[in-house]
Amino acid sequence: MLLQIPLTNNTDVDLNTVYDAVIVGSGAAGGMAAHVLTSHGLKVLLLEAGKYQDTGKILHSLEWPYDNPYRGKMPPSYHALTLNEYTIRNPPYAQNSPYKKVTSYVQGWGGADYSKTLVVDEKKNPYSGTDYAWVRARVVGGKTTIWGRLALRLSDFDFKAASRDGYGMDWPISYADLSPYYDRVDRYLGVSGHPEGLPQMPDGIYQRPIKLTDAEMHMRNTLKGMDRTLTPYRAGVTTDGLKHNKYRSRCYGRGACDRHVGGCDIHAAFDSPTGLIRPAMDTGHLTMRTNSTVYEVSIDKNTGKADGVNFLDSDSRQSYKAKAKVVLLAASTLESARLMLLSKSEKYPNGIGNSSGLVGHHFCEHIMGPSVNGFWKDLVGKPRTLDDGRPGGFYIPRFRNLDSKHRDFIRGYGFEGGSGTTMVPATAFDEPGFGEEYKRNVRDYAGAVFSYGAFGEVLPRYENAVGIDPQLKDAWGIPVLKFDYRFGDNEKKMAQDMYDTGREMFQAAGFEITSSTKNMLCEGWSIHEMGTSRMGNDPKTSVLNQFEQSHDVKNLFVVDGSAFVNASAQNPTWTIMALCWRSCDYLADQLQKGEI
Amino acid sequence: MPTGMNRRELIKTFGAMTLGSAALQLTAGEPDAPLFFSKPDFALLDTVTEMIIPADDHSPGAHAAGAAAYIDTSVARSIDPDEKKNWTKGLALINSLSQQMNQAPFNNATPEQRIAVLKSMATNERHPTTEQERFWGQLKETTAFVYYTTSIGIHQDINYKGNVILEQFVGYEAT
Repeated sequence: MLLQIPLTNNTDVDLNTVYDAVIVGSGAAGGMAAHVLTSHGLKVLLLEAGKYQDTGKILHSLEWPYDNPYRGKMPPSYHALTLNEYTIRNPPYAQNSPYKKVTSYVQGWGGADYSKTLVVDEKKNPYSGTDYAWVRARVVGGKTTIWGRLALRLSDFDFKAASRDGYGMDWPISYADLSPYYDRVDRYLGVSGHPEGLPQMPDGIYQRPIKLTDAEMHMRNTLKGMDRTLTPYRAGVTTDGLKHNKYRSRCYGRGACDRHVGGCDIHAAFDSPTGLIRPAMDTGHLTMRTNSTVYEVSIDKNTGKADGVNFLDSDSRQSYKAKAKVVLLAASTLESARLMLLSKSEKYPNGIGNSSGLVGHHFCEHIMGPSVNGFWKDLVGKPRTLDDGRPGGFYIPRFRNLDSKHRDFIRGYGFEGGSGTTMVPATAFDEPGFGEEYKRNVRDYAGAVFSYGAFGEVLPRYENAVGIDPQLKDAWGIPVLKFDYRFGDNEKKMAQDMYDTGREMFQAAGFEITSSTKNMLCEGWSIHEMGTSRMGNDPKTSVLNQFEQSHDVKNLFVVDGSAFVNASAQNPTWTIMALCWRSCDYLADQLQKGEI
Repeated sequence: MPTGMNRRELIKTFGAMTLGSAALQLTAGEPDAPLFFSKPDFALLDTVTEMIIPADDHSPGAHAAGAAAYIDTSVARSIDPDEKKNWTKGLALINSLSQQMNQAPFNNATPEQRIAVLKSMATNERHPTTEQERFWGQLKETTAFVYYTTSIGIHQDINYKGNVILEQFVGYEAT
């Protein structure tokens, strides 16, 4: 029996207590930190800038579009930024907009009515500098309420990438250090996948895998001859259920997660509120305060250590202090960097934990854009099959720069894709012409479509950075981020190769190509921000140590994507959580030994 | 919608519902008073959307799916002044193009002449350059979205099988 008890928006919490730990942010990292630290018996306060929203109530996963007043789109007073708006203008993007709420681009997707209250209002949360499509969710659970669910492991091709190609810096850990923590995340949260034995993308401990369509099996078999692999989507979704978690159901293949902007009302897809926070609360050791916009890490002037955080109530704007022995930032790669840079004092004039001057630098993510769409003619006009009753399609892991070196670029990329009939067929928007022939083609080709797009590693360049804008402030009067971030030559050459290999695989499989592009989307499109406080052994060249602990301030940890040394081609969420688990085990041990 | 319902059963059900419900027929006809468009513009919109997705042996078309009525409602609700202007201007373009090609407004032209007008607008569908060609993209994409999100589009035309609860995933095991 699935327990659907809403969390409360409790702001009446004890702020006189000195907690063992205060965590800023309740997404994948903050939720994981809450889980691990409470399981060690520590007293934890979790602060979230947004409110609790019952995604189980607002998703309406089985609702047909014709039963929704806007067919699943946002109401007319809302507007989602478009690619044009991101690239023709510079941020801030939403100034002087006539709309009641302006959101990031993700809300332009089908089914956005669900998530319109989960993502931030760009008008209240501006930023400046270079073009960047920054997607933020200020809500309990953060972006885990809308994430794409791809749950992949990194390997030593990533952790030791610098040793392989000479660019950047190795991580202070290797796969062997993190592997047991990936295992724990897999077991605790559930992940669906099929083992492939690939060294560049290690297997996990998998629940029932997703099945493939006819065309995907055909492509899988084709790629075997090219030393590439098409594997069922490795989804952070419990497909067999979790005996230890009464707040989550197993997946029933309704396909809702691909129709909406993520989200799962039965919580088969991992989200932080049901996967981590509720169970942590059940230990009796976790207190959560929502509506708490943290603007500064506060320090004890005598010891130089952090002694808590200062925050505003997001509604009343009254200022409070939360006191703790240890401070963990889990506000997202960019928001955590912003907080560190904002936490200036006599002792830390460049921001807390920033003696290296590297906070905000080596900011990296994934490029997106190059993609191929087409169809397999063997399936045209065939009887309709059920193709989208699953939490994802397929993934083709990185195959570049493994055993051999590409002449034009370093690192690699993978493809995410899908095929077959969807509720609203892609062919409706791709088929040219009009009339009876168009209508018949939409129908006959709907089940034959096949498409994928690439995600590739953006190099962690020092000069790609965020800093604090000297003038612009958000709706709470807090200075905002200024971006100085651009794709470089390696990314452009990689995009060309994505396009070439994307087309090559279609041709090898005998699939027809209807459209393809090598154009990169705007910076930020992948929503995979990483690396603003990279980890390392040398305090001069890194911000955090291998346990995501500040080199400068022993009781400050940054447990989100900030610690990544490079982006890898694989999606980051599972690695963020594995790293966070490892760091919090260390933190608890050190705290108990009196070392922090 | 019960699952596993085949097309014939659907048509039976819809037929019975239509007979029993005048209200349902209203949504599939032209409203007496469009919310945004003038009556002639609404009639024009109704004609062109049905030409884009016509009724055929397989399923009803855009008219029966209430495409023009839905577009009328959503343009009326829009707070984007450009969107309203685009639609009014776009429909005027169709008439002026028809006048130019056929010496008659679109709805007074013969079926062949009307097809010629739309073909002309759709010439560079993938890479529109003129105002007419850009409006064609907007008109067709909107019509497609509206039609394929109706019950007629999803169930009768596409015969979509998903959005159901599955004990097991459907498809092939990766081997």
